[in-house]
Amino acid sequence: MRVLFLVLLIAGCSSVKYTAPVEPPPIPPAPEESLPPPPPAHVETAAVAGLLQSSRADADAGRLGSAAATLERALRIEPRNARLWHELARVRMKQGDFAQAETVAARSNTWAGSDKELQSANQRLIQEARAARGMTGR
Amino acid sequence: MAPMPIRNRWRRIAGLAFLTAGLLAAGYTLYLDLRVRTEFEGRRFALPARIYARPLELHAALRIPQAEVEAELRALGYRDRASDSEPGWFVRRADGLEISLRPFVFWDGLQAATRVSVEFEDGRVKSLRDSTGKDLPLARVEPLPIGGIYPANNEDRVLVRLSAVPKHLVQALIATEDRSFYKHRGFDPRGVARAALSLVSGPRAQGGSTLTQQLVKNFFLTPERSVQRKATELIMAVLLELHYDKDEILETYLNEVYLGQDRDRAIHGVGLAAQYYFGKPVERLTLAESALLVGMLKGPTFYDPHKQPARALERRNLVLRETKDQGFATMEQYTEARAGGLAVNPKPSVGTSPHPAFLELVHRQLRREYDEADLRSEGLRIFSTLDPRAQEAAERALSRRLAQFDREKRFGDPGLEGAVVVTDVQSGEVQALVGGRDARYRGFNRALDAARPVGSLLKPAIYLTALIDPTRYTLVTPIDDEAFVWKSRGAPDWEPKNYDRKFHGKVALRTALANSYNAAAARLGTELGVEKVLATVKRLGVERELQPYASTLLGAADLSPLEVARMYQTIAAGGFRAPLKAIREVTTQDGKPLRRFPLSVEQAFPPEPMYLLTSAMQDVVREGTAQGLKTWLSPELAIAGKTGTTDEQRDAWFAGFTGDRMGVVWIGYDDNRAARLSGSASALPVWGDLMASLEPEPLALPKPEGIEQVLIDPQSGLRADMLCAGARELPFMQGSAPVERAPCASDIGAAVEQVKERAKSWFDRLFNR
Repeated sequence: MRVLFLVLLIAGCSSVKYTAPVEPPPIPPAPEESLPPPPPAHVETAAVAGLLQSSRADADAGRLGSAAATLERALRIEPRNARLWHELARVRMKQGDFAQAETVAARSNTWAGSDKELQSANQRLIQEARAARGMTGR
Repeated sequence: MAPMPIRNRWRRIAGLAFLTAGLLAAGYTLYLDLRVRTEFEGRRFALPARIYARPLELHAALRIPQAEVEAELRALGYRDRASDSEPGWFVRRADGLEISLRPFVFWDGLQAATRVSVEFEDGRVKSLRDSTGKDLPLARVEPLPIGGIYPANNEDRVLVRLSAVPKHLVQALIATEDRSFYKHRGFDPRGVARAALSLVSGPRAQGGSTLTQQLVKNFFLTPERSVQRKATELIMAVLLELHYDKDEILETYLNEVYLGQDRDRAIHGVGLAAQYYFGKPVERLTLAESALLVGMLKGPTFYDPHKQPARALERRNLVLRETKDQGFATMEQYTEARAGGLAVNPKPSVGTSPHPAFLELVHRQLRREYDEADLRSEGLRIFSTLDPRAQEAAERALSRRLAQFDREKRFGDPGLEGAVVVTDVQSGEVQALVGGRDARYRGFNRALDAARPVGSLLKPAIYLTALIDPTRYTLVTPIDDEAFVWKSRGAPDWEPKNYDRKFHGKVALRTALANSYNAAAARLGTELGVEKVLATVKRLGVERELQPYASTLLGAADLSPLEVARMYQTIAAGGFRAPLKAIREVTTQDGKPLRRFPLSVEQAFPPEPMYLLTSAMQDVVREGTAQGLKTWLSPELAIAGKTGTTDEQRDAWFAGFTGDRMGVVWIGYDDNRAARLSGSASALPVWGDLMASLEPEPLALPKPEGIEQVLIDPQSGLRADMLCAGARELPFMQGSAPVERAPCASDIGAAVEQVKERAKSWFDRLFNR
């Protein structure tokens, strides 16, 4: 009977567990305060505007993974929207993923056309990311 | 020692034997008890990982014809008839569709059932509205299930709680299979007596098994029939009833039962059966539908409603009668249920997956992160990147063209083979993958595993290596396409020939690429240095080590279509390298997010040389070896690409991209026979068919800051003006364009240019700019 009990105990513990993290643990405090405010919104399609809004809400609430996912969803609809790329770069920055922040901002620049304001916002972000990377090695 | 009296000894032996037998029996029972309890308790049904295509996102301005939306809804099992009670339908309205979307748990949460109206105009969504007529920004259609990663025997099931199972299903089951289920303790003495009788009188009469016994049989035992097995079954049934209550046993039974076969996939449990046969959740099964499932328990193949409808109908009606006779259904309910036909969904017949090649890619990417055993048992939900439209188009294009080439060439069996990869230019998501001409066949996956010589497909890397240095190379730099011999120690001389067996003297760099001249490419590549070119290949995303031989430059290197796709993806994305990914998200079976595969890019090359290379690759399609593409796709799409053909035309390739998709097509024989088909004659038509059916976006690369457009006379490769006939604007890195004027650039032209310049500076001064 003791054996039975033991076996039951073991059986009870045998369910598989997942360890894969959903979101990486928050990494070094990104220099958030130093980030310039996002460039003024321009006119997006309703679909993208809605997603952009909910992504910003997520980012403000610290749900950075969701914010990024929503931006990616928006980018599938408007892949050439330089502003979406820029927003994604900002989220990556906040996530502490400086390498991606830099590349994604560069990507935004390729689609920025004559939007000088966005270009310089990207440039600033790239510099911030490089500086942060220099400090943390990320 | 006094001898033991004989009687006493026998008594002792008998006693010992009895004790041993008793102990053995008790031990066996204890062992069975252990098995029943541990296995039943520990047994969590192994649930396959379920893989979904990308969800279709409807929004105003989306380029998609109405017919394609209808096709996707049909594939999802949506009915084309409105219903007030059941979501999951669409009806045609004046300018489009009214759709009742089913609820679905997406990666980011539950999306409730909604009703939307979609208007279409000129192959686009014109408007999207909700049921009150208000504009809706976005509506996400549930994703198409495209297969699973299955447990042993390809058992598939959808677990259900007993509380979700309609009462009439349970009643029909009890009326038909085990009337005293709620009374007995695991077995029915009369049933056992009947079974015992049948053992004596022959295997004629069967049955008499309670639901508990059936469950024990399915769960623990092999299907062989013997007295011993029957006894074990009996003991275990009793033990099961001792430990668990009726509802637990019933629930497990309903989830366990085998209810049919979909090719290689075994349909288990009423949850999946409801979906498979009726396209609805088990909660909403009618009495008639429940009766059919119950009837099929006796023999899912014998009573297969798809293949044996008459037999299945008769069996269903018998179950209905039993249900009524047991007092579980009124005469009215019975008559109503009996009056209807079987009403099963048409057999989708997809087996474990309709797209096994793509699934294989998903599986390989998953295996890097998850345990194989978990993939096959934990019921993970995998949201993939497959675009069903692109996948269908790729499968169709490949199989049709291959059949046509086989007919025309008659090279006998086995026929030509091929592979296709389609990706999204911006994100690197794999939208479609075909591993052979029979897309349903799960076997050798050429898209992933056939490494074949790539021929001219590596040439863009040579030209890119050159264009990175604007002080030495521009698109019009003359390249020598004369006979070329490469000598290296320990290897035979290498003398590449041109496809047309001619040499062309000095040609502009972009012309050498457009016409895929071998001698020019070999000369340029060796001038630059083989190692340097191979470093470019690597930076473009080819991870495989290539031999540092000069002949590698002209494609004496084996790559799989997927590896080629990786390389061309980086070119298509303007130098941003992204891993080709097939998965977006993974959640648990109840929708809890586990893992996301985020978009991740690296800048492998600056945008300027990529812009120049792309322009040259657009010339391949505009005026070079891929001009044939205009049969399918308007020149205005400005598609860029490259053909590839290897020695004796054993391999034919085309890789290219539009503004939104990149595609790679390979065609050849598995046994490496000469196919006698060039890249432009075979792979190109497949690519053309495929892309033409997907309404491509034109390729309009954003012009990088460091690029200027200069009017060039194609004859001389020198600066032209508007008086030069046939002059073309070509991109150059700032300051690298030729300064010298072409002969055609007349003095008048030059004068006009000068006046323009002056006027401009005058204006600048005027407005103080």
